[in-house]
Amino acid sequence: MSLRRLPVYILLDTSGSMRGEPIYSVNVGLQSMLSALRQDPYALESVHLSIITFDITAREYLPLTPLADVQIAEIQVPDAGATFLGAALELLIACLDRDIKKSTAEAKGDWRPLLFVMTDGSPSDVHAFRQAIPELKRRNLASIVACAAGPKAKEDVLRELTDRVVMLDTMDAATFSGFLKWVSASVAAGSSSAGINDAVALPPPPPEVQLVL
Amino acid sequence: MSKTITCTTRDGRSIAFVDDIIGSGAMKDVYFSPDRSYVVAFYKTPQDYQAQERLQMIVGKYRESIFNQIGGDYWQHLFCWPTAMLEYDGRLGLIAPTYAAHFFFEHGSKNNDMLSIKGKEKEGKWFAAANLRQRFIDSRELGNWLNHLKVCLLLARAVRRLHMAGLAHSDLSYKNVLVDPSHGLACVIDVDGLVVPGKYPPDVVGTPDFIAPEVVSTSHLPKDDPNRKLPRRETDLHALAVLIYMYLLYRHPLRGKKVHDVTDELRDEQLSMGERALFVEHPTDASNRINAATAKPTELPWANTEKLPYTLTGPYLSPLFHQAFITGLHDSAQRPSANDWETALVKTVDLLQPCSNSQCEQQWYVFDNSTQPCCPFCGTPFRGKLPILNLYSSRKEGQFRPDNHRLMVWTGQSLFWWHVNTQIAPNEKLIDTHKQRVGYFVYHAERWWLVNERLPDLLDVNTKTPIPIGGKLELKDGQQILLAKGDGGRLVVVQMVES
Repeated sequence: MSLRRLPVYILLDTSGSMRGEPIYSVNVGLQSMLSALRQDPYALESVHLSIITFDITAREYLPLTPLADVQIAEIQVPDAGATFLGAALELLIACLDRDIKKSTAEAKGDWRPLLFVMTDGSPSDVHAFRQAIPELKRRNLASIVACAAGPKAKEDVLRELTDRVVMLDTMDAATFSGFLKWVSASVAAGSSSAGINDAVALPPPPPEVQLVL
Repeated sequence: MSKTITCTTRDGRSIAFVDDIIGSGAMKDVYFSPDRSYVVAFYKTPQDYQAQERLQMIVGKYRESIFNQIGGDYWQHLFCWPTAMLEYDGRLGLIAPTYAAHFFFEHGSKNNDMLSIKGKEKEGKWFAAANLRQRFIDSRELGNWLNHLKVCLLLARAVRRLHMAGLAHSDLSYKNVLVDPSHGLACVIDVDGLVVPGKYPPDVVGTPDFIAPEVVSTSHLPKDDPNRKLPRRETDLHALAVLIYMYLLYRHPLRGKKVHDVTDELRDEQLSMGERALFVEHPTDASNRINAATAKPTELPWANTEKLPYTLTGPYLSPLFHQAFITGLHDSAQRPSANDWETALVKTVDLLQPCSNSQCEQQWYVFDNSTQPCCPFCGTPFRGKLPILNLYSSRKEGQFRPDNHRLMVWTGQSLFWWHVNTQIAPNEKLIDTHKQRVGYFVYHAERWWLVNERLPDLLDVNTKTPIPIGGKLELKDGQQILLAKGDGGRLVVVQMVES
């Protein structure tokens, strides 16, 4: 009923270093994020979810799908592999250009998309990464949040992409699920009471996360 | 096992809570008492002096002015009102009653609760959007249209009571109202943000979908700008009208197809909910109609305003919707009061007719004042003899004037004191003896009968025949029946529709 869609894109690092507990907790976290979002009637009416994974290549793991219809099979990680975040951004730009409905005089388009990027390293394809950033900025996303997990994650590089970088010191289940919980709270925040003074704001991050601004 | 913490409220009562957060909102963390009969909610941030003073008034004077009066108990079911303040470990907290069990999903969603919402709070949004209702929610949770009217009635009544006390809620939305359509119940929660004009200003602008147009269109101005409009009684009235519209028609009254800004969807939202807000069913400006052609199958037929126009809500509610969304949308002084809604909803309940189609999802509809009544939801026409009682009341002995109030007759329909006497209203002031049924209607051997249970004065006026208690009277077209003598006593004129 003339409701706008809220597209949510999640870019997930599946490089070799994510093997083991990290990818296990990402899989668990994704499932609980899905069920939390589905218990929110606002999200169920508007959220469309897409997942892009990246290691040596970038893949559209889940094309943009209404939340109610999303089914995610367990994400596998190759034995080894680089972190082609630049390629992932290029793929994302192609997906955005294909998926996002613009408003016309006759019909309302989509809300501006939200993007969450999660990585445990730094891009191996820095050149492509830097090339993609201005292109992505032109797509005018509502917000980009990058999550740098573990000791090898490079905050500086991610800050070229967005000023919202969340540092996770550890890579255990609690931190990943904490972050994904925060993702669902951020997505749902648009429907709750708005304060007198604030513009659209993200809810505070989970306690175990440091938000670098 | 979490430990139990005992502490003392500001007014000296000893209370306890289990140190385990059961819920967490934007402002507060919530804990259960050991027996789960009440909750303790602690603010996450320190509250300033004014906020504390306001809370003190809410748990004290305002609470007493509503609950410590004759009929005060009635409001226990309509509000979840905090009862005390406390401090513990440097944090400010409130004690509030636990939500009643019927406000939690008993069955949840379809297909063996595929969304895992069983046991979760029945947030109103689930019941106010056609797609959510038809695609996800277990049909046992949905209730029928009569129950939805009752939900709206209780809501209007609760808001009326707040406004009578000089208070405004300031953030009415389906998040702050619990509903139970399967039993027809509603409860206003989160009253700790109450606005008292001139004394306690609001701290929220409201929740999207419910913010009044004048608040949306001035939200860019600084808080102290004289042109900035903030939540108050009139904005509650906008939110109340939106809630009632959504609970009866399962769509939003302002969310149509009109696009105000093709490049910036936030500005488009701002305009369509604010400055340029336009009713989707505006009689002369069709530019914001809902485009039924692009609606999801599970949004139909509700997305089709031609098929299910707001006028199906009947002769008492339709003018109020007109007033709220056409004349009063941008002129807050014109909006119908909560009392107007309450009165119209009470009268509308009397105009309901059960649908003869047992598969009809709504089961009840408002009599459309025609000689060929038909259920607007499933299209099933009424067949048979349908008596309609037109109520008149006397202001002077022997002189009766129409009350613009009708009672539809169906098997099992009851006659109550508030039908018999115009001075009695079915609200919180109703005394126990006035809650009793005084008569009922039954269709027997192809005739309609009124059975008298408690009316000493019942009289068939045309034949001057008194009907004793325990006796019965056949209903006929054009018949006049006196229900009660004296002040406010009512006379009924029967109309018989046959189709």
